[in-house]
Amino acid sequence: MNAVLAVRQYVSKMIEDSGPGMKVLLMDRETTGAVSVVYTQSEILQREVYLFERLDSPNREPMKHLKAICFLRPTKENVELLVQELRRPKYSVYFIYFSNVISKSDVKALAEADEQEVVAEVQEFYGDYIAVNPHVFSLNLLGCCRGRSWDPAQLTRTTQGLTALLLSLKKCPMIRYQLSSEPAKRLAECVKQVITKEYELFDFRRTEVPPLLLILDRSDDAITPLLNQWTYQAMVHELLGINNNRIDLSRVPGISKDLREVVLSAENDEFYANNMYLNFAEIGTNIKNLMEDFQRRKPKEQQKLESIADMKAFVENYPQFKKMSGTVSKHVTVVGELSRLVAERNLLEVSEVEQELACQNDHSSALQSVRRLLQSPRLSELDAARLVMLYALRYERHASNGLPGLLEELRGRGGTDRYRKLVSAVVEYGGKRARGSDLFSPKDAVAITKQFLKGLKGIENVYTQHQPLLQETLDQLIKGKLKDSQYPYLGPNTLRDRPQDIIVFLIGGATYEEALAVFNL
Amino acid sequence: MWEPQEVGAMRSHLSEFKKHRAARIDHYVVEVNKLIIRLEKLTSFDRASTESAKIRAIEKSVVPWVSDQDVPFCPDCGTKFSIRNRRHHCRLCGSIMCKKCMEFVSLPLASKLTSASKEALGSRTSPNSSPSSVHGSRRGSISSLSSVSSVLEEKDDERIRCCQHCKDTLLKREQQIDEKEYTPEIVKLYEKLRLCMEKVDQKAPEYIRMAESLNAGETAYSLDHANDLRVEIQKMYEFIDALSKKILSLGLHEDPQPHPKILQLQRMIRYSATLFVQEKLLGLMSLPTKDQYEELKKKRLHMIALETQGKQEEKQKEFVSASAVNGDETHIKKGTVRKSEGWLPTSSISRESERADPLLQQIDNITSFIKQAKAANRIDEVHTLQENLRQLQDEYDQQQTLKAIELSKKQAEEEEIQREELQVLREKEWEREHHKFLSQHSRTRSLDFREVKQHLDVTWIRGDTSFETPAVEQLQAKGHETFTLKPQNAPQCDKDQDQPASLNPFEDEADTPQVEEDPTNPFAKDTSPVVSFSNTAQQSDKKEYNPFESEEDEEEQSNGAPGSTLNPFEEDENPFEKPGSSWNSGNPFEEGSSINPFEVEDGSEISGEEAIEEELLLQQIDNIKAYIFDAKHSGRLDEVEVLTENLKELKHTLAKQKEKSNC
Repeated sequence: MNAVLAVRQYVSKMIEDSGPGMKVLLMDRETTGAVSVVYTQSEILQREVYLFERLDSPNREPMKHLKAICFLRPTKENVELLVQELRRPKYSVYFIYFSNVISKSDVKALAEADEQEVVAEVQEFYGDYIAVNPHVFSLNLLGCCRGRSWDPAQLTRTTQGLTALLLSLKKCPMIRYQLSSEPAKRLAECVKQVITKEYELFDFRRTEVPPLLLILDRSDDAITPLLNQWTYQAMVHELLGINNNRIDLSRVPGISKDLREVVLSAENDEFYANNMYLNFAEIGTNIKNLMEDFQRRKPKEQQKLESIADMKAFVENYPQFKKMSGTVSKHVTVVGELSRLVAERNLLEVSEVEQELACQNDHSSALQSVRRLLQSPRLSELDAARLVMLYALRYERHASNGLPGLLEELRGRGGTDRYRKLVSAVVEYGGKRARGSDLFSPKDAVAITKQFLKGLKGIENVYTQHQPLLQETLDQLIKGKLKDSQYPYLGPNTLRDRPQDIIVFLIGGATYEEALAVFNL
Repeated sequence: MWEPQEVGAMRSHLSEFKKHRAARIDHYVVEVNKLIIRLEKLTSFDRASTESAKIRAIEKSVVPWVSDQDVPFCPDCGTKFSIRNRRHHCRLCGSIMCKKCMEFVSLPLASKLTSASKEALGSRTSPNSSPSSVHGSRRGSISSLSSVSSVLEEKDDERIRCCQHCKDTLLKREQQIDEKEYTPEIVKLYEKLRLCMEKVDQKAPEYIRMAESLNAGETAYSLDHANDLRVEIQKMYEFIDALSKKILSLGLHEDPQPHPKILQLQRMIRYSATLFVQEKLLGLMSLPTKDQYEELKKKRLHMIALETQGKQEEKQKEFVSASAVNGDETHIKKGTVRKSEGWLPTSSISRESERADPLLQQIDNITSFIKQAKAANRIDEVHTLQENLRQLQDEYDQQQTLKAIELSKKQAEEEEIQREELQVLREKEWEREHHKFLSQHSRTRSLDFREVKQHLDVTWIRGDTSFETPAVEQLQAKGHETFTLKPQNAPQCDKDQDQPASLNPFEDEADTPQVEEDPTNPFAKDTSPVVSFSNTAQQSDKKEYNPFESEEDEEEQSNGAPGSTLNPFEEDENPFEKPGSSWNSGNPFEEGSSINPFEVEDGSEISGEEAIEEELLLQQIDNIKAYIFDAKHSGRLDEVEVLTENLKELKHTLAKQKEKSNC
């Protein structure tokens, strides 16, 4: 189950089906994102797609010599825009692909608008999500819930996205959901409804063990998103922000013009692919090696080319060198900025306390550490608030809870009210009352022994002690030990064997730490 | 980690879409076609020379006119018809409108519309039918020319009346026809561009196959053919470059600048063409020069030869074990071997510097390959090359042995007779051995060697020329087999430097001493290769072969060869070469080794060599030019500078080369 490949294959098929000739890709805001994470511009250029247009862009010139490939979400607005487009076609032929199920009435409306017979294809290709990594997808939704229940529009969108993923991977799963979460149950029901309604679409070749869709709620583990990360991809996202594989470096001091925005894609960047899951120390070493390797090649360019053999070697190595220099400068900049931020924000120390809060059970020492850090002037406002949030979540019901004092100190540090309000919001969102499972104390004897042994061995890396709850949930699921009482099946059927294909959807978003945990499974 | 995955689910709505569309379109298409058929009828006669009454009759026959009484008001503008505001009929649908609402279809437009639909029809049935049908109808009208035209107010010579609705429909149709027929410049250029790209896609893999094969020294393809193909592909790249540049600049000089999107499209096409050239041109490995190719061929032949060699050694082993009887005699001989070992290593350079042996050339090649590989940090390649080198050195040792035998053979007076015998025996032997040791590959060369030595000892001790024959023929056979890939050449062929491995060096030395007087002789040729060989040769290797030479030396001395100079080969050559002092003056030793041990040439060969170098230089210049262009295009100015400098250097070198070759 490779989400990136699934969307890529859809896009490839669209381009293939449209035959030779100059092409324009007509998309909407969301499909633009979906395509851009799986195809680079140069790749798609080589397949004769020269222009990328938004359907809603008013400034489109008629170009009758272009073929239009339309990849659109089947929204009302898109259908309306497309109807207008077909009445006065700007391109010679239209190949229309909807990223999800489209209603028959919309098809009819389009057909009746196509008086000039410019439409050559109308299909549903279910690439209705952002394939972040082969095993990670996102719908790029912000704020899907209001309080404890769904925003109805977002529920629809999530249902569409999730069913599109299932269709693109050709999986018709059994569904389990987190009982304690009302949104999880609602989403499970909605997905089931779509599967039932579109049973013809979901009629895939049966596998011996049916795939499993597990729907969880972020509020069950509000800790993980609050921790600073130390693996490459997660760190880049935490400190710089990854948006559809793009990283905005414009705030980096002294950045050169062509590095203001860089693309980090494991598909096209070998160094990134090899290092995205490694921790920061290892990245440092690897970057050093990369540089050395680069330097070794570099002198050749500068040195006098004395013999013909030298020249030949130069000419043959030149493009490779050029490509390498791009990779090197990109990663050196990114890693350099990361380490600058780590130093500036004192992140090593912050992270140590964060991990102590998340993983250990020593209230007075934790409180002391948080207090000590709050005194530090180098601590950023965000990190300070996050520490207090972590403390608030962790020792919510502790007898000698020091939260009021911490909040007071937070106020003393100045800054906006926003972050202080977040503390109570987080407790509301992911506090004990909201959680269905016990996030902090180990659940069974095995886990207790594990923790005990871990304590004996000493901790390998203080900054990466924390394991997301998801890892344990999946562990149990794979072993067939996940309790039906906490994570019931939707419908009467249950899975007897251990599951093989598992799709997890986290309402409220997953973190790169969790992506890493799944990657390591 | 990710297994292959079939493309995800999809669902087509096309048939439903078409169904809905067809229902809508049918109506529209039928309407248009009806109008066009009528239009054709209306224009199928010569209106100018037909009476208006007759025209009206024809017009009325095409479509029934709505009767005047039924329409009291103009259906379009609503004004009442009267004597002043007369009714007009649309000739295409027969409906009535007022004069204000009346439109006209000009004859040119009419013929454009009708002929377009006829063409469409004609192309579907048969291409000839449409012109003939047009002609037919025209001729029909000409025949009815006779009547005199009366100029009436209502008569329209050049146009046909119609209503707004029909006119609209026809205009829409005209627009469609225009679009269909009009191919913008960019499309034409783009099609050419794609054609070139396709050709490259076809030819490049073929070329790469050829180049790989040639670079491996295989003979499956001809070098010239590959060069032609390379030139052809490079021409394609130039086309692609030129075409995409042209697309890029389309419309840039027109007054209203094209829409920014059109310019963007042109830029993108240009960019993708650049990407294409970049990607494909890089895969295009360079070909070896003629000179290098010969080297590569030799190298490959030797690789093959080495395999056969393995079998040979097995054979020798057997032979020796069968014939080595006199153990004590061998012993005595060994003593002398040891004695003479002392001076050999020091002498090896000067001696070997005069050797013309493809093996040595090869060894030298490999040494330089190793150097290059080391420089390029390709450890495993270095290993394989070193392995090759060792094999070659072993092989060379073997040859030394052969030479020794040859020398002693030369000293024997019945040389010619022996040769004849040998030829016969050799063939027999070869056949026999070939069967026996087909698939054997020996890793015990040094061991064999000693055995051969023993065998030689035996023969030499006996000192009987007639007895020597079996041994010689045996080894001779081996020597021959090493080179059997081409038929044995006449010794004179050695003059040709490019002669592949078929030359059997010791035969030449032995039989045709006069060759050595030739300035192009191979002995002089191989100066520096030997230097580098002897530098890299391991001590143990030397020990292995040196005893042999010392033996030869022994042998020679005992045979009373003139002078006790350093080694027998020099003794051999000196009588011929020292008198002709030209050898020394034209010694290419310094000159050759100064550039590159691998490209050493004989004095007389320089111009030829350099012509090839020039070729290579030109190739490199071309390549660098391409990179400069690319760098400029993507705005990497610092790279452009470096590259330009390189280019200058190259050009300078080229000029120097030319000068030299002109001298």
